[in-house]
Amino acid sequence: MAEYIIRRLFYGVIVLFIMITFIFVIMRAVPGDVVLLQLSDTGNISEEQVAALKTELGLDKSVAGQLFDWLKGAIQGDLGKSLWSNRSVNEMISARLPVTLELTFLSSIIAILIGIPIGVISAVKHNTFIDQLLRLLSIGGISIPNFWIALVLLTFLSLVFNWIPPLGYQSFMENPVVNIQQMILPAICLAITLCASIVRMTRSAVLEVLHSDFIRTVRSKGAIERIVIYKHALRNSLISVITIIGLQIGSLLGGAVVIESIFSLPGLGSLIFESVNSRDYPVVQASVLLFGAMYLLVNLIVDITYGWIDPRIRNS
Amino acid sequence: MYQVQIKSQQQVIVKKHTRLLKLLNDCKRFMVTQKIGFASILIIFFTIVVAIFAPIIAPYDPIDQNRDAFLDGPSLQHLMGTDDLGRDVFSRIVYGARISMVVGFGSIFLSLIIGTILGMVSGYFGGITDMIIQRLMDAILAVPALILALFIAALLGPSVVNVIIAIVIVSTPQFARIVRGEMLRIREMNYVEASRSIGANAFRIIFKHGLPNMLAPIIVVASLGFGSAIIAEASLSFLGIGTPPPNPSWGLMLSDASRYMESGPWLVIFPGLALAVLVLAFNLLGDALRDFLDPKLSS
Repeated sequence: MAEYIIRRLFYGVIVLFIMITFIFVIMRAVPGDVVLLQLSDTGNISEEQVAALKTELGLDKSVAGQLFDWLKGAIQGDLGKSLWSNRSVNEMISARLPVTLELTFLSSIIAILIGIPIGVISAVKHNTFIDQLLRLLSIGGISIPNFWIALVLLTFLSLVFNWIPPLGYQSFMENPVVNIQQMILPAICLAITLCASIVRMTRSAVLEVLHSDFIRTVRSKGAIERIVIYKHALRNSLISVITIIGLQIGSLLGGAVVIESIFSLPGLGSLIFESVNSRDYPVVQASVLLFGAMYLLVNLIVDITYGWIDPRIRNS
Repeated sequence: MYQVQIKSQQQVIVKKHTRLLKLLNDCKRFMVTQKIGFASILIIFFTIVVAIFAPIIAPYDPIDQNRDAFLDGPSLQHLMGTDDLGRDVFSRIVYGARISMVVGFGSIFLSLIIGTILGMVSGYFGGITDMIIQRLMDAILAVPALILALFIAALLGPSVVNVIIAIVIVSTPQFARIVRGEMLRIREMNYVEASRSIGANAFRIIFKHGLPNMLAPIIVVASLGFGSAIIAEASLSFLGIGTPPPNPSWGLMLSDASRYMESGPWLVIFPGLALAVLVLAFNLLGDALRDFLDPKLSS
């Protein structure tokens, strides 16, 4: 088990490395020179100014040289400085990361707590009206763009209840009430897509399990239906459900970018958006690295949970 | 003698068109058993027609500004109201269908072709080629899709072509993976071994034996992929790095609408509704196709 985890981590690091190189090279190959962008405010741009700024920002070395420098720093924990504001990237990211983490966490919890029971109900009441309705709702949930739902909700709340979320983000530590008010809408919008996927997966997994032989055995030994469903059927369908959660966290992280923009939340998603537009290389690299690492971590946890849930995998 | 000749002529005709007849039969069966899927096909077809005949269907020019009709609600003259620059929303939605369809079909077909080729090469030849291609696909899959697409589109600049490029890069790995898996499975089949033993080269095996047997999962993934591609284009346009203004991309319309939520709620409702319906149709179609093709898949 431990060997498996280490091997997966190692593999993940290699993949992250390839991805970072990829991104590094692309950023520098594409038009939109950050130096010219920065100097364009000052009017006439002379050769010396360009060269001086380049050296100052460390952009005069070859691409390979820059990559090497950055990696060297990254391993030691120093992710560089923003090319625009000269603040340390670490500082920028650590200010923004908790927001995105809280948002992602809230959304996942809401989606799981609502999705799994609904999926179970849908499977148990197979082919009844409730089942059809829930299936329709869940397909609707994955099809509807979450930023549209966000806009519709905001419009509805402001027109009907005259309420908008408080402006000026405050963290949970500062002011829990305001924080929840600010987070609840975005969390719900993000949760919808994940919840719909969970409902669909839970439904199909539980359905499959409910028709299997050992469930028939459990029933014939006289267990109450509720125990049959929750203790036996659900446990065995958890693997598929957890798989889908792991995969969909990726789209959750992606969706966070748009949702953070709509609700003006100062998170990692909006940071990545701003810095790509301003060609702030170090910030973009660090953010993409972080997103990739988070996604990798979640999938690793999913794989480990397989082993924990299903003893057959653990012992193989 | 004569009778025998006629019979064999008929046999020849039936034999020539067997594949086509089988396909038509399958379509008929699909329409009967998967009614929701059929309805989705109708919706998609309707959208394609609207997109193609946009100049005839739309009552106004979509980028024509009319300062007098500023933020008007839905009326008889403007079925879906006007936006903040006086442009008719209905016409913009109709023309917006073009953008969604072009991006959706364009990007998915391209990533299907590229992904399939990569997957087949990777699966059939194995070895170092396989390893390199797979690592590359894994690297693309390591970053959440929208973030990578955002990154690429923002770097390349706002344009429909760049959006397509971004979506192609992000969508290719899923096709490559599926095709590679199928290829690995088919490679071990008896008929492939038989082909090889009578001297068929790799090309022939891949295309004559591999491809027809892996069409089913490819079709399902492609259908679901259309929906994702359309949402991706809308998201990128919403963030301002997709289709540039004044093109009436539905995502761009939503981004404009976000500033006029209270004074013009119709601006928020209609583009989003259009997106939701179209993506819903593709997802329902994908589901129906999967249900329809599944018994064949698990053979």
